[in-house]
Amino acid sequence: MERFTDEALVLSCVDYGEADRLVTLFTRAHGRLTAFAAGARKSKRRFAGALEAGTWLKAQLVERRGDTLRLDGVDVLRSYHHLREELPRIARALYSLELCRELLRDHEPHEALFDALRGYLELLEERQAGPTSLLKFELDALQHTGFRPRFAPCALCGGPTGARPLFDPEHGGVVCEGCAPRVPRGVPVSASLVDALARLQAGERTPLPAELRARARQLLNTFIAHHLGRRLKSVDFMEQVGTD
Amino acid sequence: MTPDALNRLVAQLAKLPGIGEKTAQRLAFHVLRSPPDFAKGLAAALTEVVDKVRLCPRCFSLHDGPADTRCGFCTDARRDDKVLCVVENISDQLALERTKEFKGRYHVLHGVLSPLEGVGPDQLRIRELLLRLEDSPIEELIVATNPDVEGEATALYLTKLLKPLGLRVTRLAQGIPMGGDLEYADQATLARALSARREL
Repeated sequence: MERFTDEALVLSCVDYGEADRLVTLFTRAHGRLTAFAAGARKSKRRFAGALEAGTWLKAQLVERRGDTLRLDGVDVLRSYHHLREELPRIARALYSLELCRELLRDHEPHEALFDALRGYLELLEERQAGPTSLLKFELDALQHTGFRPRFAPCALCGGPTGARPLFDPEHGGVVCEGCAPRVPRGVPVSASLVDALARLQAGERTPLPAELRARARQLLNTFIAHHLGRRLKSVDFMEQVGTD
Repeated sequence: MTPDALNRLVAQLAKLPGIGEKTAQRLAFHVLRSPPDFAKGLAAALTEVVDKVRLCPRCFSLHDGPADTRCGFCTDARRDDKVLCVVENISDQLALERTKEFKGRYHVLHGVLSPLEGVGPDQLRIRELLLRLEDSPIEELIVATNPDVEGEATALYLTKLLKPLGLRVTRLAQGIPMGGDLEYADQATLARALSARREL
């Protein structure tokens, strides 16, 4: 049984049996892993407060037979507890964690995404991440995992997207009016939305107006649901608590 | 060959949380070895709990009175009608009761908001809480959800709903547990304990 230590962010945690927990970790060097934390619900010392979603820690792991590892111990590097002071910040943090959990595969490291997620949680903790930052993070996460949506040029012909583009997740993004007959499931989108998302993807950080954000959210929800095969659960929560 | 009746009992016991096949088998043999009255008493208790115990239509705690009647927590005239404590589940309510410190009323949510599990406000007894507030003299509402991410999200959501109603919304204090050890306290607990320190 091999022991190793890795930096990790807690993606989610579920109770197991009377006193244990199954923790899904995003480790820097080993990607997504699921670890069995024996006694985690009862022990006040070993994992005290460390297995909360979003916590950045150093995890001591032991490989076992099968897919699940054993979590032997943790050292908390940052708990990001201040972001739990506001509902929108909690909702955004949990959404970003769920997105990463679903985009990642076990044992496939994504160091750039690890840093992007940690950076985003840091911004949330410092009250520096609004709704536009979440859109930016989503675009980054999609890019790091190979699902980068294409906003320009046209995903089919490579030409300009024009004034009346369509969005088609199946073809990876925006297609121009000329290619419209080839994408029967394409949905019309405004050129201003395509332009805003392209600029965000290129690194621009100007906050988007609420109306544009709502349309961008809808478009990304469709794109992510298409590629994951299901809608993220925390999307519903964000809608229910009225945050974006 | 093992008797079918025994196999059925083991299979049923193994469905209980935390009980595996081997433990179920051990429990089943214990039942077999015990005097017949034990098994009959156990079976009667199981049937009775299913038939008689139901949720109080007011606070959603458990009670075994007639249908459509309220539980002891809701009908006890010695309890304070002006303070309401909102808890995640019945075991939390019982834990608070054990302190013998709280004399107000309760409201059991039967869960917490859990975005990652897809549990939203509609799956909890929040609508019933709001209806209850319309005809109650409640002045203070204590949110006693757990101090984890889901518990905090639930507390903040309730605060958002209830503050505009002019209620005093309070949260259980968070910090170092009695008999605890600073060295082993986590960052979040220590930070909360520091910010909520009190003068001696």
